[in-house]
Amino acid sequence: MSHFYRRAFCALLLSAFVQVTFAADKPYTIAVIPKGTTHEFWKSVHAGAVKAERELKEKGVNVEVIWKGPLREDDRDQQIQVIENFMTRRVSGIALAPLDSQAMVAPVLNAQRAKVPVLIFDSGLNTDKYVSFVATDNHKGGELAAERMGELLGGKGNVLLLRYAVGSASTEAREAGFLETLAAKFPNIKIVSSDQYAGPTRETAYQASQNLLNRFGREVNGIFTVNENSTVGMTKALKDIGKAAGQVKMLGFDSGEQSVADMKKGDVQGLVVQDPMRMGYLSVTTMVKHLQGEKVETRIDTGVHLITPENMDQPEMKELLHPPVEKYLN
Amino acid sequence: MTSPTPPISLHQHVSLRKFIAFFGPFIGLALVIAIFSAMPSVRPYFLTGANFKVIFTQTVVVAIGALGMTMIIISGGIDLSFGSLVALTSVVGAQLLKHHVSPLNTAVLTILAGGIVGLVNGSLIAGFRMMPFIVTLGMMGIARGTAKWLADSSTVNMPGTALDNLMFQDDPEHFFPLPMGVWIVAGLTCAMSLIMRRTVFGRHIFAIGSNEAAARLCGIRVLWQKVFIYSFAGLFFGLSGVIQFSRLSQGDPSVAVGQELDVIAAVVIGGASLNGGSGSILGSIIGALIIQILRNGSNQMGLPTFMQEILIGIIIILAVGLDKLRQRRAH
Repeated sequence: MSHFYRRAFCALLLSAFVQVTFAADKPYTIAVIPKGTTHEFWKSVHAGAVKAERELKEKGVNVEVIWKGPLREDDRDQQIQVIENFMTRRVSGIALAPLDSQAMVAPVLNAQRAKVPVLIFDSGLNTDKYVSFVATDNHKGGELAAERMGELLGGKGNVLLLRYAVGSASTEAREAGFLETLAAKFPNIKIVSSDQYAGPTRETAYQASQNLLNRFGREVNGIFTVNENSTVGMTKALKDIGKAAGQVKMLGFDSGEQSVADMKKGDVQGLVVQDPMRMGYLSVTTMVKHLQGEKVETRIDTGVHLITPENMDQPEMKELLHPPVEKYLN
Repeated sequence: MTSPTPPISLHQHVSLRKFIAFFGPFIGLALVIAIFSAMPSVRPYFLTGANFKVIFTQTVVVAIGALGMTMIIISGGIDLSFGSLVALTSVVGAQLLKHHVSPLNTAVLTILAGGIVGLVNGSLIAGFRMMPFIVTLGMMGIARGTAKWLADSSTVNMPGTALDNLMFQDDPEHFFPLPMGVWIVAGLTCAMSLIMRRTVFGRHIFAIGSNEAAARLCGIRVLWQKVFIYSFAGLFFGLSGVIQFSRLSQGDPSVAVGQELDVIAAVVIGGASLNGGSGSILGSIIGALIIQILRNGSNQMGLPTFMQEILIGIIIILAVGLDKLRQRRAH
């Protein structure tokens, strides 16, 4: 009899051990949902998420990252569907870049009710029921641009701001940061226009820029545009009227191949860039920390940097302009 | 079938064909579910009540559109303005709510707005004998543009109302309770099946689609009937718009771009012919479900987005190809 008990005890112990090791082996599956998949910015976020996955695996934490954009870019309903599908797939956690601050609230709350934690990255959401908000401090990005503008113009002149679109929280913060800092630190700089919008594509931005320069082209000394498309569009319009190459100081936001080339040629005097790779990296590592029961910050800043023609050849700036995406995505 | 009294075997053959035609979409549905269920990595999540609740909810907008589109396609027409109309009516609904119209009136007026656009489509098609493809292609641009105009080129956020609850998923871990929208689809599917099969209006739609000239000679007022079909379908598209803004809790002029193709695909997978004269309401709903299940399953498998698009494209061609093969063998 005692034999039997001893054996039973051993079996129990063994099975408990097996269960524990199995529990440790069960991977954390983390669904990372961007706003789209084709834009360079999202490719860098993807690379960052993969980097986090690899590093955590090396540390012995079993993590699996699933990267999944909406089927049609910028379609809010499609993004809701992706969230719902991962909710019922019972992933360990979801990292989401919401296409809309309002429309994604209901599905995010729904996922959390189903006990799937959600982390928000890149753009804000009109709720505070999430694990953490991992994003660029866009207001600070606008401030950096304003400082650079003040420096370039020697504290006086006419400045033009081309906005991006109504209701886009991230770019509105950049615009606010720019205007507030100019007003506070450089009272002699006059804003000649700040009520025009570039719109979603390079083409709409180009047209808006042409219209603006038609009206203000003679008096303007400095221009700030708040995203990649509008930077490219405005630079092109400046070249058309022969005011590029530093006659009008041009500051932009985000780096794309075209705007980097424009800066090399001297048509752009500064680019405020985000760090999308770090955004993807921190989204995954923060979610894993949360899943492991650690407390995480509810707001994580992924950093903004000002790149100028003078510092663009430094290695760390080079890496921001050309994130080593190929190293992580095949 | 020239002999006046066909032999019994032919009768049997015909009924077998009918049997396959009727159950074809169901077989497809079972196949798709079986494929995803067979994969050990997907099965534990895929075959759950909670997941099917999500799939049903995601199908609602396209399914309601398919109800209207089936009617149009059976009559030999097509409507490309569905996606734009969903966007337009969702903006109309959001604006009405924003201007303090009661939720019930908002729903009714939004659906009517869809009906009015349908009326314009139908009148142009019947009145000027224009191709439905061209008229609705034009309307696709007009409705999308008007939606953006009414929304001032951005999304329209409105105060929360009872309408937001149409698509609310209570208890995300179980199949029941289903959102209101799913029950609406179920009810409308039954009603439309009866209308298409048992009423004069429904039979006339089949007659027009099979042979318009013959239908006219039989005394069917083809032109009026067409105006009515497009208007009636417009009401369904308006309802899709109501559901869409309920789901997004905002009016969005850029939503549902290209969704008319999902709806047309659903109707075609459901056994309808783009030449008109055949199709079924239930088949179209099943078709819509098949597309959504494919998205859900490949999503959960972690297939990249482009593979998903390729897969759904293949399924559409396959479904229609099989249908053609079946028809050829029958002749």
